[in-house]
Amino acid sequence: MNLSGTLFGDIEFGPSDVIIFKDGLIGLPNLQEFVLVHHKDGSPFRWLQSVQVPAKAFLCAIPQHFVKDYDPVVGRAAAKALGLTDKTNRLILATASIPSGKPSDMTLNLAAPILINADTHAACQVVLEGEAYTVKHRVFPEAKKKVAA
Amino acid sequence: MLVLTRKLHQSIVIGDGIEVVVLEVRGEQVRLGIKAPKDVAVHRKEIYDQIQQENLNASEVRPEDIPDA
Repeated sequence: MNLSGTLFGDIEFGPSDVIIFKDGLIGLPNLQEFVLVHHKDGSPFRWLQSVQVPAKAFLCAIPQHFVKDYDPVVGRAAAKALGLTDKTNRLILATASIPSGKPSDMTLNLAAPILINADTHAACQVVLEGEAYTVKHRVFPEAKKKVAA
Repeated sequence: MLVLTRKLHQSIVIGDGIEVVVLEVRGEQVRLGIKAPKDVAVHRKEIYDQIQQENLNASEVRPEDIPDA
């Protein structure tokens, strides 16, 4: 299969590469099929590239790369919907937002991670209840304002 | 918008599988109980809006802005 017109040019992928979000992303229920594109070798960043709308790709990151102790509790409903058991390989991603030209202001949405069953490629975006994570978790410390000497 | 008046412990039914019950009313706060099938996602509207916005933001990142990490 071939996808053209993406941010990354033409993408070749097989049917088994497709990740299925039965309910889409939150607020975007119509986008249900994606492929994962690595930003660079060894980078914690991935693009969730829409198969249905080639122009749409969502930047995500492996959250533990930035927040070491991030360990979201997967609710029973989500685990069941994705067929996750203790033995299932899973991938957790967080969407990443970077204001244009300001990489140091990057934030991760740790309150609504993306959960992928790595064995079946079923996926969903879950909302964590009652955890301390925010939708705009700042990754890098805020630039200090210059103090007059 | 359909507008219905309910009293404490009364409920409304949406479709075949969803029921919303008024559990408690205290001043400006209302506690609702929601019975829905497992595959129906229920969100607080303001959280839903924030997540939708973050998803859209993630789709507008320019590759050249991604930090080396």
